[in-house]
Amino acid sequence: MKKYLQLARITFQEYFVYRLNFILWRLRSLVQILALFFFWLAIFKLGGEFLSYGKEEMLTYLVGIVFLKSFVLASRTANLAGRIKSGSLTKELIRPWGIFKSFFTCDLVDKALNLVFAVAEIGLIFYYFKFTFFFPKSFWNIVAFLVVILISVFLYFFISLWISTFSFWTDQPWAARWLFGVIFLDFLAGAYFPLDILPPVFGKIASLTPFPYLIYFPIKIWLEQITGIQLVKPILISLLWLIAFWFILKKTWEKGLRNYAAYDG
Amino acid sequence: MAKMAAQNQLMTNWGGSLFIIGKIVRFLFFFLFLFSVLSQSQTLAGFSREEVIFFFLVFNLIDTLTQFLFRGVYVFRQRVVSGDFDLDLVKPLASFFRPIFGWTDILDFITLIPLACFTVYFVFANQLFSSWFSLVLFGLFFLNAVLIAFAIHLFVSSIGVMTTEVDHLIWIWRDLFGLARFPTDIYSPKTRFVLTFLLPIILVVTFPAKALMGLLTWPWVIFSFTMGIGLVFLSLRFWRFALRRYHSASS
Repeated sequence: MKKYLQLARITFQEYFVYRLNFILWRLRSLVQILALFFFWLAIFKLGGEFLSYGKEEMLTYLVGIVFLKSFVLASRTANLAGRIKSGSLTKELIRPWGIFKSFFTCDLVDKALNLVFAVAEIGLIFYYFKFTFFFPKSFWNIVAFLVVILISVFLYFFISLWISTFSFWTDQPWAARWLFGVIFLDFLAGAYFPLDILPPVFGKIASLTPFPYLIYFPIKIWLEQITGIQLVKPILISLLWLIAFWFILKKTWEKGLRNYAAYDG
Repeated sequence: MAKMAAQNQLMTNWGGSLFIIGKIVRFLFFFLFLFSVLSQSQTLAGFSREEVIFFFLVFNLIDTLTQFLFRGVYVFRQRVVSGDFDLDLVKPLASFFRPIFGWTDILDFITLIPLACFTVYFVFANQLFSSWFSLVLFGLFFLNAVLIAFAIHLFVSSIGVMTTEVDHLIWIWRDLFGLARFPTDIYSPKTRFVLTFLLPIILVVTFPAKALMGLLTWPWVIFSFTMGIGLVFLSLRFWRFALRRYHSASS
């Protein structure tokens, strides 16, 4: 446990060495979300509802994106690809800690820092746009929301590590990361807009992937658009995806290690 | 140089294919998003669905073209830090040629052609142009947009020469540029002021689109071209200023 705490401390200190990197990364995230705020405010200018969303619910959805991107999608697991490619994975493998545990430790620090900034950004958003944040009235929706985001933290961790393992077989892992870990993930997770504003067939296609359980479904639960016994379904499905990706990652990792030659190291 | 860059990129054909697929998928997702939203709400900031989509197409066209032409900025920092930039300075080319144009991206070019064709088709199919003169004006504004983008990239490269801080600046520009994905009339007046006079994003994306639709008045037309020429002039002066303060990393 002590070694992981030390690792967490070092990871935390690293952020203050490369502070500008981190601050500019947050600034970029803020710019992207502000564009969406302005867009939806323009849509709701004439009042009324948009599909199942009132103005406050849609803006709460956007706040949810800021929060969940910082908590669920903030991760250092993409670095694994670079370590495999450069051969520095060898050093990691002989260290006195589990490599997945070490990445998870770094992730926790990353999430904590991102959350601090996300809270500040959300504060700025409330200050500037002055809208009513939607709070669920149902206790079970709040519990379900917390359970689903806990599952989605681990689910994304496994998915992201799995994408990084492509580096065992290709020296261009960036392309797969960009396509699956950024483009598909951002859109199919509902990190730009709620998936139910698209034609139903696209929502059904997205539901066949694990991505909506990272952002879209947690926020839908928070907005009480999934209630009662229906809450069980997204929790169960996200658990199944979690187990599936744990196995996929385990098998891919074992196969990748057999293939690993550290040829750049 | 473009041929060498293309050969390099096409060597990694698997990576290149996924990159192109990613660009197409991102475009289609945003297109679908706008189409779906505006099918329900009909208008956005007073613009019809087709007009909003046209703004989106112009944004993508200019964004893809500037990335195709000016991709060199993204690898410039490495050249400065390693000292390779010293070798560029002794070559019989303009000193900014390599930093700006040194890495033309064939993958962007591959997506640019169908995008341009679709944009042309969309304009004529939906009769978005107000007159043939507006088409000519659009072409001129388009060139002006490329000039302004060149000036911005040269400014960033100049700062890179002095501080090696290129990557963040260019990505901040890209993210701010993304604000023009939607008609910029959705933003508050203060934001529009910043995006017009301080970071000329509106001049780069919104003005060409509005020129085609006949929505620009002559004072704005004159202002836009004056800004374009002025920014190019200033950026060249700033580049020379930066070069005078350049300390080679290699020696």
